[in-house]
Amino acid sequence: VPTCTLRCAGKSAALLLLFSAITARALADELSIPNGTVDLLSRQESIQPGYPITLGLHFQLAKGWHIYWVNPGDSGEPARLEWRLPAGVRAGAIEWPAPHRLSTPPLVDYGYEVEVLLPIPIENTSGLKAGEQVTLAADVKVIVCREVCIPATAHVSLSLPVRSQRPTISSRTAPLFSAANKALPKPAPSSWRPSVKDVGSEFDLRVRTGRSVASAWFAPLQFEQIDNAAPQKIMSTPSGLHLILRKSDQLSKPVSRLRGVLIFGSESAYLIDAPVTPLPAEGHHKEH
Amino acid sequence: MRRTFAYCMALFLLALPAAVLAARVGVPAPNFTATDSNGKTHSLADYKGKFVVLEWHNQGCPFTQKHYQSGNMQRLQKEWVQKGVVWLTVISSAPGTQGYVTAQEENDYLRKMHASPTAALLDPTGALGHLYGAKTTPHMFLINPDGTLIYDGAIDDHPTTDQADIPISKDYISQALSEATSGKPVSTPTTRPYGCSVKYAH
Repeated sequence: VPTCTLRCAGKSAALLLLFSAITARALADELSIPNGTVDLLSRQESIQPGYPITLGLHFQLAKGWHIYWVNPGDSGEPARLEWRLPAGVRAGAIEWPAPHRLSTPPLVDYGYEVEVLLPIPIENTSGLKAGEQVTLAADVKVIVCREVCIPATAHVSLSLPVRSQRPTISSRTAPLFSAANKALPKPAPSSWRPSVKDVGSEFDLRVRTGRSVASAWFAPLQFEQIDNAAPQKIMSTPSGLHLILRKSDQLSKPVSRLRGVLIFGSESAYLIDAPVTPLPAEGHHKEH
Repeated sequence: MRRTFAYCMALFLLALPAAVLAARVGVPAPNFTATDSNGKTHSLADYKGKFVVLEWHNQGCPFTQKHYQSGNMQRLQKEWVQKGVVWLTVISSAPGTQGYVTAQEENDYLRKMHASPTAALLDPTGALGHLYGAKTTPHMFLINPDGTLIYDGAIDDHPTTDQADIPISKDYISQALSEATSGKPVSTPTTRPYGCSVKYAH
C-alpha cells in the first residue's frame, strides 16, 4: 500500500471502494476529517467465533497537522473511541505507537504527523455465528492541530464475514499493521534494570542497555512528572545511558515510579517502569 | 579557581530573580501590570485582600469554546464575582494568531457571550502569560488575599472539547475557590492544565 498524502487521498478512497467491491469486505472507506482522513481497518479478512482479531484506526494527515499520543503533553487530547459492537464482542484499549516530540515553544506535545495506524485488539468474539456478516463500528472523537486545533467526530465502521475457519491476513492492510507493530513500544529487557535517582530539580534515569547509546528520549506516560519542553540531556556510558529529565513545575509530591517510553528511533521504543530513589537526606549526601 | 567560583556565584545571583518571580503554588504570585479591554490598568498589587482568578483565554480555541458555548465559564464568573472574587480573563495570543483581539473586538465578544469577568486583560506580547507559565487555554490560576498562588491548573478533570462532559466533570477551580474562601487549604492545588497551546509570539 503506497503511503498517501492528502492530495491523493480522494483518489485512493476511490481505489479502495473499487477494491472492496472486488475483494473481501474487510475494507472500509476513508472518512474526511479536518485536514485529513480516518478509516477503520482490519488485519484479518474475516472473523472466527471465539478468536481475537486486530483492528486499526488509520489516520492520514495533511502536512503540518498532528493528532495526539495517549499522553498529549502540554496541550491537546488523544483520540477517543466509543464502540458500537454486537453482543459478545469487546474492543480492548488502543495500543499506542511511540509518539513524536512536537515542539510549539514554549510547549512540547506528543503525537503523530502524516500517517499513523492505532491498533485495537478485538476480543471475546464468542457471540458470533459462522455465515453471518458482522459490523464493527465506532464514533471517533479526535482533535487535529497545527497552530490551531479543530475537533472532529467521525463514525467509522467495518463489515467482516464470520467464518468457522481461521482468518487469512489481509494483504492490503498488512504493511500498515506491520509498520504499526514495529512502532509499538516493546517491554524493556529485564537486564536493563531501569532506575531513577531523584536529584532535586531533575530525575536521573539510568538504563543498562549493555551498549553505549548515542541518542534517545523519554516520553512520559504519566502527566506532570517531567517538564515536557525541557531539553533531555543524554549521557552515554559503555553499559548504557543516563537521561537527565527536568521535573515538572506541577510536581508537588514525591514520585515513586517513572513510567514511559524510551525512544531510540521510529522502530525502536521500549516501555520503562522505573523505581525512583528519593533524594538523599542532607546529612547523608556524599561528595562526588 | 576562586575566579570560577565568583563567576558561578554571579551567574547564580543573576539567575535568582527569575526563579523568585516564576509562578509556583505556595509562594507569592508574581506581580504584574496589564491593560484591560477598556484601557484600564490592573496590577495584582491592587487586589491585595481579595481572591484573584486568572483565566487564560482564546475565543477561537475549541477547548475554550466548550466552556463558553455551554455557558459554564460565564456561570463561574458571575457566581464568583458576586462573591467578591476578582476574575481576570487574560488573552496572550500574539497579533496574527488565533484568539488575538483588539479591545473593541473583546468588548463585543464579552457582550455577545454575556461574559462578566472583572476585566479582560490584553497581553499580546505574552509577557503576563510567560510570567505565569500559562500553557493552555483555558489555564486557571487562583491567588489568595495575601498574594500567594494557591491553584495552578485545569478548569476541570475532563480534558476534552465535548460540552456533554461538563456536568460529569470535577470542577477544580470552583473546588479551590470554595475551599479557600471558607478558610480551608486547597485540597488539589495543582493539576495538569488542558486545552489549546497559548498562541505566543515567536
